[in-house]
Amino acid sequence: MTMITKRARKSAARLNFSRPLSGLFCVLMVVFILGPLAWLGIRAFAESWTFPNLGPDGWTLRWWSVVLGDETLGRAVQNSLALAALTVLVSACICLPAAYAFARYEFWGRRTFLIGLFALNAFPKMGLYVTIASLFYALNLMSTVLGVLIVHVLGTVVFMTWIPAAAFAAVPRSLEEAARDAGASKLRVFFSVTFPLALPGILVAAVMSFLASFDEAQGSYLIGAPDIMTMPTQMYTLVLNYPNQVAAVFSILLAIPSVALLLAAHKHIVGGTLAEGFQIK
Amino acid sequence: MTLAPTRGSKRRAIATPAVARRPLGFFLALPPIILILLFVGFPIVLAFAFSIGLTGGLNHVIASIGLNVHEAENWWGTPAAYIEVLSNSRILRDLSVTVGVTALSTVTVIFLALGIGLFLKLRGGRIARLLSGLAIIPLFIPVVIASWAIVTFYSGDGFVRSVFAQFGVEAPVWAFTMVAVVIGSVWTSLPFAVLMITSGLQAIPNAMIEAARDAGAGFLRIVVSILIPMAFVPILIAVTFTAIGVVGSFTVPYFTGPNAPNMLGVSMSNYFSAFNQPQQSVVMAFIVFVIASGIAAAYVWANFRSAKDQGKV
Repeated sequence: MTMITKRARKSAARLNFSRPLSGLFCVLMVVFILGPLAWLGIRAFAESWTFPNLGPDGWTLRWWSVVLGDETLGRAVQNSLALAALTVLVSACICLPAAYAFARYEFWGRRTFLIGLFALNAFPKMGLYVTIASLFYALNLMSTVLGVLIVHVLGTVVFMTWIPAAAFAAVPRSLEEAARDAGASKLRVFFSVTFPLALPGILVAAVMSFLASFDEAQGSYLIGAPDIMTMPTQMYTLVLNYPNQVAAVFSILLAIPSVALLLAAHKHIVGGTLAEGFQIK
Repeated sequence: MTLAPTRGSKRRAIATPAVARRPLGFFLALPPIILILLFVGFPIVLAFAFSIGLTGGLNHVIASIGLNVHEAENWWGTPAAYIEVLSNSRILRDLSVTVGVTALSTVTVIFLALGIGLFLKLRGGRIARLLSGLAIIPLFIPVVIASWAIVTFYSGDGFVRSVFAQFGVEAPVWAFTMVAVVIGSVWTSLPFAVLMITSGLQAIPNAMIEAARDAGAGFLRIVVSILIPMAFVPILIAVTFTAIGVVGSFTVPYFTGPNAPNMLGVSMSNYFSAFNQPQQSVVMAFIVFVIASGIAAAYVWANFRSAKDQGKV
């Protein structure tokens, strides 16, 4: 009894001492993480800005009409959305069966395959894209939709394999066997039991893949530019050629799908589905 | 592969005695592997041949487009391109900048992520949850935007300088310096490390920490002897992912860094597109691969250790 109170008092004392410190750390982290976003976001509605002032000289919505009326920017938005949707579809067709296999089967070469998938992650991105681009010259894939699509799909393979594999592995076998005992066919078991239970994991993988494609900038820039411009690659030229406020508006537009999709999947991502997916299960 | 008598495999063996090594699994798993072999493995082999001056076959096109290509006069290649790149003092400066930024960013990210993770595990409460939620936010933001936001925040007329100017203090301009590159790398790498490390720490049973506390262990002792060893694999994965991500990054240094010296990712892209010297670019890529392979070995090892612990491999 005395030991407990002593410990409680001790930890209370430590709390009192560390509360201002952790408070300061919190404030610094808020400024560090949210500060740049807020500072950029305000610019989308700013008339102009004089240096030492902490706010703009006036407010306007003018920049929004500039962006929404610009044809090249509009095309970039279309390209990005179409490419991201296509990437998720192709990636799911290629990777989901493999995810199921990794979760449920023992087979020859499994270990080698796993190392192969790890290896994909272990290559620094820009180096990889440079080697891919060298090959794409020979295959006539530079500045083509197919070339950019291949790069985007490569960027999603790990998400689309790992996260669903962890989800499939987490489906209790006893449930599948119960369904089998009740007379369901193998296909029926998969679609009525396994797939619905693994669906949250698969959706997280799809969201992550969509965003990976939507946000992919370096590979698309090296292989697609200047013929195929997506929203992120358009940013590279935008910040040089347009006023600051236009880049700010474009940034907000570019961030909307990410924020919306990730908020929708937020619970699963923070709940550990993502972290689980990066370790073999 | 023989099933070791571990927890996972035993459960599996009981549940389905007939878990077969069927070829079906092999064929289902094949498509992504073929994709990787075709568009990662094959280009890397080809690019290596190109980097040592073997310009025949599929390398013919790139060799004829590119400028300043060193061609080998024999079948085993020539190190001429490597010698040229490694004796170029500007590229060497880029290389040392790359290594420095990677090391500094990784240490900072892991330090912050461990701090947040430990705070959440040992103290808990609203502030801790708020902090870990906050650290995930960069995951929601495309890297291009993040980089641009960081440049405007730390630029000559940015927030930091404006705030200091209110008090008549002249703050340094960090935009377009390596400081901004490190800040940007930390900003973009933080969410993954925090997710990895907090989920690793949360998986440790509280009873263990309580037991150590009862035995008189202090905060530091609990962290060093229990929490870090038990969450070692997720921590190592966070370290390798962060380091590999930073070493091969392009967007963050391109937006936030100086023209020169900058990280190799930027010089690689410049040499490939702007200078049209693909061979030199490929050589730089292989230099980065060598740096990353050391880090990657740790990642593969950590993953197999964790897979073995769970009896999955």
